[in-house]
Amino acid sequence: MNGGSAAVGSASAGRGVALSRRALSFALDWMTWGYVAYCVMYLLNYYWYTVHVDWWGTLTLPTWGWPVVILATLELAVGCRSFGRSLGQRAIGAEFQDREGGRITIGRRLTRILLWHISVPLFAIGFWRGEDPWHDRVVGVSLRPISPDPERPGRRALATQWGILALFLGALTLWVGWLIIGINFQVLIRRAPQAGRIWGEMLRPDFRYFTTPDPVFSLRSQSYSILDLAVVTVFMALMATILGAAIAFPLSFFGARNVMGFSPVGWAVYGIVRGFFNVFRSIETIIWGSIFAVWVGYGTTLAGILALTVHTIAALGKLYSEQVEGVSPGPLEAVWAVGGSRVQVVRHAVIPQVLPSFWAFTLYRWDINVRMSTVIALVGGGGIGDMLFYYKNQGDWPKVGAVVIVIVAIVWAMDYISGWLRERIA
Amino acid sequence: MGYPEGYLSERPPWTTLAGIRNALGRRAHAAGRYFAVFLLDAGGLGILWILVSYAYAWYVLHATAYMLVPWWLFAVGVVEGAALWGSFGLSLGQRLLGRELGPAEGREASARVRVRYFLLWHAFVLPGIGFLFDPPLHERLSGLRLRPRRIEGTAPAPWYRTSSGLFVAALLVVTCAAAVGVTISWPALARLFRQAGETADFWRALVSPDTSILLDAGRDMIVTIFMAVLATLFAVVVAVPLSFLAARNLMTGPVGRPVYTILRGAMSIIRSIEPIIWAIIFLVWVTALRSAFAGVLALWVHSIADLVKLYAERLEAIDQGPIEAITATGAGRLSVLRYAIIPQIVNPYISFTLYRWDINIRMATVVGLVGGGGIGQRLINYIWGVQYRQAGTVMILIVILVWAIDYLSARLREKFA
Amino acid sequence: MVCLPMANPYLVVEHLTKVYERGQVLALRDLSFTVDKGEFLVVIGLSGSGKSTLLRCINRLIEPTKGKIWLDGGEVTRLSQARMRRVRRKIGMIFQQFNLVDRSTAIANVLTGRLGYLPGWRALLGWFPEEDREKALASLERVGLRDKAYVRVDQLSGGQRQRVGIARALMQEPELLLADEPVSALDPATSHSIMQYLEQMNKEDGVTVIASLHFLSLARRYGTRIIALKDGQLVFDGSPQAIDNVKFKEIYGEDAEEVEVR
Repeated sequence: MNGGSAAVGSASAGRGVALSRRALSFALDWMTWGYVAYCVMYLLNYYWYTVHVDWWGTLTLPTWGWPVVILATLELAVGCRSFGRSLGQRAIGAEFQDREGGRITIGRRLTRILLWHISVPLFAIGFWRGEDPWHDRVVGVSLRPISPDPERPGRRALATQWGILALFLGALTLWVGWLIIGINFQVLIRRAPQAGRIWGEMLRPDFRYFTTPDPVFSLRSQSYSILDLAVVTVFMALMATILGAAIAFPLSFFGARNVMGFSPVGWAVYGIVRGFFNVFRSIETIIWGSIFAVWVGYGTTLAGILALTVHTIAALGKLYSEQVEGVSPGPLEAVWAVGGSRVQVVRHAVIPQVLPSFWAFTLYRWDINVRMSTVIALVGGGGIGDMLFYYKNQGDWPKVGAVVIVIVAIVWAMDYISGWLRERIA
Repeated sequence: MGYPEGYLSERPPWTTLAGIRNALGRRAHAAGRYFAVFLLDAGGLGILWILVSYAYAWYVLHATAYMLVPWWLFAVGVVEGAALWGSFGLSLGQRLLGRELGPAEGREASARVRVRYFLLWHAFVLPGIGFLFDPPLHERLSGLRLRPRRIEGTAPAPWYRTSSGLFVAALLVVTCAAAVGVTISWPALARLFRQAGETADFWRALVSPDTSILLDAGRDMIVTIFMAVLATLFAVVVAVPLSFLAARNLMTGPVGRPVYTILRGAMSIIRSIEPIIWAIIFLVWVTALRSAFAGVLALWVHSIADLVKLYAERLEAIDQGPIEAITATGAGRLSVLRYAIIPQIVNPYISFTLYRWDINIRMATVVGLVGGGGIGQRLINYIWGVQYRQAGTVMILIVILVWAIDYLSARLREKFA
Repeated sequence: MVCLPMANPYLVVEHLTKVYERGQVLALRDLSFTVDKGEFLVVIGLSGSGKSTLLRCINRLIEPTKGKIWLDGGEVTRLSQARMRRVRRKIGMIFQQFNLVDRSTAIANVLTGRLGYLPGWRALLGWFPEEDREKALASLERVGLRDKAYVRVDQLSGGQRQRVGIARALMQEPELLLADEPVSALDPATSHSIMQYLEQMNKEDGVTVIASLHFLSLARRYGTRIIALKDGQLVFDGSPQAIDNVKFKEIYGEDAEEVEVR
């Protein structure tokens, strides 16, 4: 709260907050009540449908229901904003204050609510004239940054309007979430003996096929041992990291504003590259795995490598280009000054500055890739996960335990090595 | 500082507990130094040999093998190789630990001295008896020791002129060769290009959304969000108290330290098992093919382990000053916790929690793939049901969701920085 | 038992020794001195000479390795942790780095001075009695910070923070005040104002003050007695006027020049 509100406070001390922030806080308040309305409807649906199914059937909103809900939430938002510090106002660090610094009586607050109904539909233009909208000017209040009174104790959060509402929202979320997820601890307890048996079997791992291939488990008519697939898994992560870093490295310069932002073409390339990074990054590796499994064949390690590589390129590319944007401009200017080309600037001024952090990010990514490569087999990406899911489907828990232990060991060892290397580079 | 010897006690050092502890400590330290170098050298050579065998077996014998020789021959080769490397050159371990073998007074060791050291190494370092003496016996007899590496004003040798440089290069080449051989299957690679044209339909389907499923997908998305929220909330409840037990600076003494070690170890193990695997375990537990509850439990367990680590690391970095000041007022341990520690950690904890919530949103889509409920479940059903238009729609929704949450959590975290 | 001086001094330190890190570093070496009630004792010496360790041994924030400390006739070094807490209530302490909780308000920091008097459950809930709140405001008033009571400490200047620290010590109604380099993080003008608060506590409330200081000029101006440490040993014990140039070089080393703080 400190940084943002302090900056606003100093910029417009004693003046109202900007329209955009005002709109944001209003939207937050409205969304809050919209969420409450959603939760209430969900709860009505849940309990009426399940309990009184013969009386009412499902509760669905009639056609006039939607405008009613929208208007009601709007009313609640305006009411909350006029009385005390609402959640949205607290979020932007502002509250209504009297223009002359006096107290605001309940009558004035009610008047504000009434005037709001006239002002917003009819005089919306009032927002743009002067610093406060019309209804605020008439009542003589202004939305201003909260200035803590050094002489008086601030009220405890839970004794304020926004505090109570936040607590209420939290409780509501818990309640509705509980029903949506279908949390059922009885099942957990009832099944505890069986689960305990499974855990017991997993904790007595069967390492018979650690080095000798398991004849039962076969991939494309070839048997593998746990060690074989563990090695394959590590190699998958290695290939993906090397390939991904090699592709992300040159791409990252095209995604850096300070390298590309000199011409319209440069800006366009920048936008495309960054957009590519952002979109491809938000699709999880494992989803990529399912796509590539369709493409190059289910259960091939190549599918896993390609999935890991694509996500690595996007994730590393973003991290890399942020580093490139963060370089200090001095050396760049020096190379420009002696007449260097753009390539020379990158080669002699940018790369030396970013290389250490590039290494650190690559090692960090290597960690993630090792973790992901252990489970990418789930969607047909190959690796030790194949064995894990096979044994799990067979219900062969001692062998599942052995595989899990090997996975933990791999992840641990690789974590340790990369942590050690990162320390040495930094 | 030049304090008189035995200032604290007039007894000779070997009759006091502290004196004995110091003497043992010095010997253990020397032994540890040699052991670490040997371990790195032997380990490096062993890995190189295994990789060479593996690549050779893969390419030439078309089989999987890790050691082409009997294991005892391998062991002898590795130990002797490490001994030779450490005696006659700047070995990998020496280089990594910043040490070199040389005489105390700074000259380069001659070949004769190095041969003598090589023989003494077998007699005293390998069985470890040399370390019963201080300084170790082989150091005394050869005049050589593992001293900190001195870097003079000369330019460093290029990597291809040093043994460790060549070793690392060889390791990298063999690793890449083995990795390429094992992981890239040529038919699959051929398919990647041959079927590129055929996947055009597939890609086109992905980017032409089917709006009729939006309402159902939206409902699943709400489930996913609630999964992440609930898993994070429940994880916080457990992780906050545990983090105090997992902070090195708070857990001292004979009871505290083991608790710290066990807790951190357990959390580390739990963290290295992906949420997907946890989801499978919990699905078996609640005997369901699909259950958002199992997904929440999986995220919950993984979040606890992750949050405990983040929280505890923050606790270990707190300012000791307020703790000292509040102790000095005569406050009890709980008051110190409440007034000196908690005010310092509230904001970082909130920030970490938001970060974890962000991760949990992504993870919630992933655990859905194995039956953990939510939008991920719908996605994998569409993909395996060859309904690529619908799958594409869901993917776009996921991208939007992940983006929005990413942005929101980053903005909120700024406030609690 | 070693025989005590006739006047029955308030604080007696005897053969105090502190060793750190498995006998590697000797912070205090066989230190013995006494302090009478109402004295303003200044401890001087170079950094690393053991001043901080000495002060922290007195309220046992650091456990001494050897030696004994009597406070008001009771042996501090023998007390259990629980009993020690009761003794600490009467020993105020202020610090070089202020050691305030930056994220809390000034009054919240000052109130922590009462924690030793509060039952545990009330302390946990933060239910301070109303008279404690009034007392906290009065303490802040006394150090001239009444108007900053509800301001967060990280928005105060260095001098103001140290005054909050003094107000926190005032809340304890201390008999003894330990000040560990209270002014070395402050500028000269602020230093004097802080030292004047300490002097005021000493003269008006009769609080015995033990302050470690960097600058000899401050020590001369405020101390009623000075002891000097060098490498953990007592090298001087006497009135402020007794430190001449020769003594000064002995304490601070040959190359030192005296600096005046105005």
